[in-house]
Amino acid sequence: MLFVLLLAPAAFLLLFFYFPLGSVLVGGLTDRSGRFSLGIITSLLGDPYYLRIIGFTVWQAILSTLLSVLMGLPGAYLLARYDFRGKRLIQALTTVPFVLPSIIVVLGFVRFFGNNGILNRFLMSLLGLSEPPLRILYSLRAILLAHAFYNFPVVVRIVSSLWRRIHPSTEEAARSLGAHGLRLFWRVTLPQILPALLSAAALVFIFCLLSFAIVLVLGGGPRYTTLEVEVYRLAKVSLDLKTGSALALVGAVISLLFLYAYIKLQQRSSFAERMTEEVERPRLGSMLGSLRGVVYLLYLLFMALVILAPMITVVAYSFQLRSGWGQQAISLEWYRRILSGGPYLRAVANSLFFACMTMLLSLPLGTVLAYVGARSRFAGGRVVEAVMMLPIGISSIILGLGYLKAYQQLPWRIVGSWYAIVFAHTVIAYPFVIRVASATFRKIKSSLTEAASSLGAGPWRLFWYLELPLARSALITGAAFAFGISVGEINASLMLYNERLITIPVMVYRLIGSYNFIGACAMGSVLMLFCFLAFLIIDRAGGEVG
Amino acid sequence: MGLQIRGIEKIYPDFRLELDFQVRQGELLILLGPSGCGKTTTLRLIAGFIDSDSGTLAMDGHRIDTLAAHRRRIGIVFQDYALFPHLNVRDNIGFGLRMQRWSPGDSRRRIEELLHLVSLEGYAKRKVTRLSGGEQQRIALARALAPQPRLLLLDEPLSALDAKLRKGLRIEIRRIQRELGVTTLYVTHDQEEALVLGDRIAVMREGHIEQIDTPERVYNRPANLFVGTFLGQANLLPGRLVRRLGSSDGQMAAVETPVGTLRVRWPDEPVEAAMPDMPAPGQPAHSHHALPAVGREVTVFFRPEHCSVDPQESGKTCSSNRISGRVVRKEYLGSHQLVEVEAQGEHLTLDLAQQKPLSGDGTVTFSVDPSNICLFPGR
Repeated sequence: MLFVLLLAPAAFLLLFFYFPLGSVLVGGLTDRSGRFSLGIITSLLGDPYYLRIIGFTVWQAILSTLLSVLMGLPGAYLLARYDFRGKRLIQALTTVPFVLPSIIVVLGFVRFFGNNGILNRFLMSLLGLSEPPLRILYSLRAILLAHAFYNFPVVVRIVSSLWRRIHPSTEEAARSLGAHGLRLFWRVTLPQILPALLSAAALVFIFCLLSFAIVLVLGGGPRYTTLEVEVYRLAKVSLDLKTGSALALVGAVISLLFLYAYIKLQQRSSFAERMTEEVERPRLGSMLGSLRGVVYLLYLLFMALVILAPMITVVAYSFQLRSGWGQQAISLEWYRRILSGGPYLRAVANSLFFACMTMLLSLPLGTVLAYVGARSRFAGGRVVEAVMMLPIGISSIILGLGYLKAYQQLPWRIVGSWYAIVFAHTVIAYPFVIRVASATFRKIKSSLTEAASSLGAGPWRLFWYLELPLARSALITGAAFAFGISVGEINASLMLYNERLITIPVMVYRLIGSYNFIGACAMGSVLMLFCFLAFLIIDRAGGEVG
Repeated sequence: MGLQIRGIEKIYPDFRLELDFQVRQGELLILLGPSGCGKTTTLRLIAGFIDSDSGTLAMDGHRIDTLAAHRRRIGIVFQDYALFPHLNVRDNIGFGLRMQRWSPGDSRRRIEELLHLVSLEGYAKRKVTRLSGGEQQRIALARALAPQPRLLLLDEPLSALDAKLRKGLRIEIRRIQRELGVTTLYVTHDQEEALVLGDRIAVMREGHIEQIDTPERVYNRPANLFVGTFLGQANLLPGRLVRRLGSSDGQMAAVETPVGTLRVRWPDEPVEAAMPDMPAPGQPAHSHHALPAVGREVTVFFRPEHCSVDPQESGKTCSSNRISGRVVRKEYLGSHQLVEVEAQGEHLTLDLAQQKPLSGDGTVTFSVDPSNICLFPGR
């Protein structure tokens, strides 16, 4: 039964993931006449221009990760060790990076830190300056800040979920033995939270390595270009798919290496799951008399502000009448324009359509694969799982490139059709469905399936009447994820779109490019509305993230 | 009829299960043994969750080992209840009916019937996650019984409950099983449960059955030392058979032990038909029916509660075996007391009704009826 189930997903992945990936591989490993050659790759690796890009890619990811960890660790500590009013909200906010499209972060960042942004305008009117005092955009600084702000909630979320399950008794024991302060943290606490910390760091690192929109806009030039952005530039601007493929291969090898490390770290972190006892946590509210309590509170406020700031900025700005400063009037002008049809409404309709189709495709795909992975007892199960999960380690830029390359010779024109985008989104989204679903399938106790089987349920009915209903909330979460990922996806969309197939994130990107920030914010707000709906569903259904 | 288990073998790297027994039509057979003896594996083999390496399972004359688990029509009650958390009480009980495509009307009637049977009328719409452990266990029983299984398997169904609830529920399980007459195999490691519930008890050790018989006989006439010491408490003495004596109601034998020569009455009944249809060779179950030869070394076995201290009676009957010793420890248990006696270097335990006073000088003389003593070959 398991093998029969596998057929459709395997065929889909073969056609719409492995075939395009293979064509990138072939493109990168052959010379202009089509013979196997490492020539392009070796010449890339000998070229100081590309070497600098590779170096910068890794370097900015390392710095961004460090910054994210530093920002996130105190939050993880507070969430794990204290109770306070609004904790539930803060916890929910840590899901935001998983559902907030990167283009919104970019937009919020530009509006907040830009030369004409809120921060500079505030400082100028405060200090009476005629020039914006902070020049943050289009620099490494901007990339690092945006990455850290975007990703530190990931650290908070993953580390606190382990930290919470570590009984404070080990720390109390250490304290009674004379350890305190930094030494206590270094010797006792850190080793215990290390698996989660490493795993969170690795995840953030991969995110930053593959980050595209943030680098594309906030880096804004050849000096601050990463592999992803350069592959995109080669494919869409220089139209050099061959060099693009070779560079994409280099990028894929790097990201897969780190993905492998991440998976290894994840396996290590499982030892802590035995410690599940709930303990009494001190309430932060009763500490506000002390300096420490105030610092903690300020950090939490800062954390909420940092997560919410880009979103608030975008929404607030979308109601302005005209770009520029001095005249500030609230207006729904841009929303009227979006609703009145034309390219803006088309982008909204496209995005919704793509997201729904992606959801419909990736849900059964991910469910079946998760089910097979959870139930198969044969040795090849792990290999199958790895093969199915590979798309996580392949950036969506490379995927888009693969689509451009693979399908350009085919008579059946896939690129330029809506299903190319939907298929690409599905490939990007279904691993998330697998993640939530397989955790749930694995948790179903064998006595439940045995009970159902003894009551007369064969394999199909067992799945239909027992396992599927039990996985319901996980599948809702997975579906919401798929929707959210598709609706906010920009990388592959940017590679594959045309005027007819434009999506909201691509529209936002183009509006930023033409300095039409109010329009970008209005479209961004619409996008956030959809993401918020997905977020609400995920939060309610309570599936595990990350 | 019932369930026939013939020549079933399951081989694991460090464990080997060999089974050959039957569960008679309508009886409640207890599978009793220490943990790791293979009880649960046996149950899972019968249910079809594990395949055996050889042998056959037949129910009512038809082979079932060739059927998948969901076609065997065997009801199972799990240790952790295994109620479906996404369904309410009604749908849990109705799950098997739905799988067998009962009509909605019949289903409803059957579910009501079962709720009545387990005394949980009015629970139909409750969420199973909100029920107490005892209620969950009753629903699990009702669910297993609903589709009228040919065989009911219970895997330590009461082990997750507290002692008081356990006693109440086992009486209820007994009543329901009798009422329905469903052939039942019940796994437990709790001897009291086994003795109270079982029509027969099969005592398992290390993958095979040591004895299968009524509770009284398993307790009073254990097949071997393992069964005797696993079930209840026992006094053991090394001895040697010195004489055989005739007797009106069986054979008598005299056994020399450190505490004196003891008389043993050997029951003269024919080899009991524990498994009349199954004179399986190599089964150790009936070895106790053959009296060891004169001169053989034996282990003398008797229960603490078969020792009686009765000043009026002692010495009157010549056939009672009198043993004297020094009281080394007394354990007061409310309704009775345990007295540890040292006699000629041997430690023996007496289980006495607590009203009976012991003499003040710290010595005690007690007797054991010859028919309450068992002999096992070897020391």
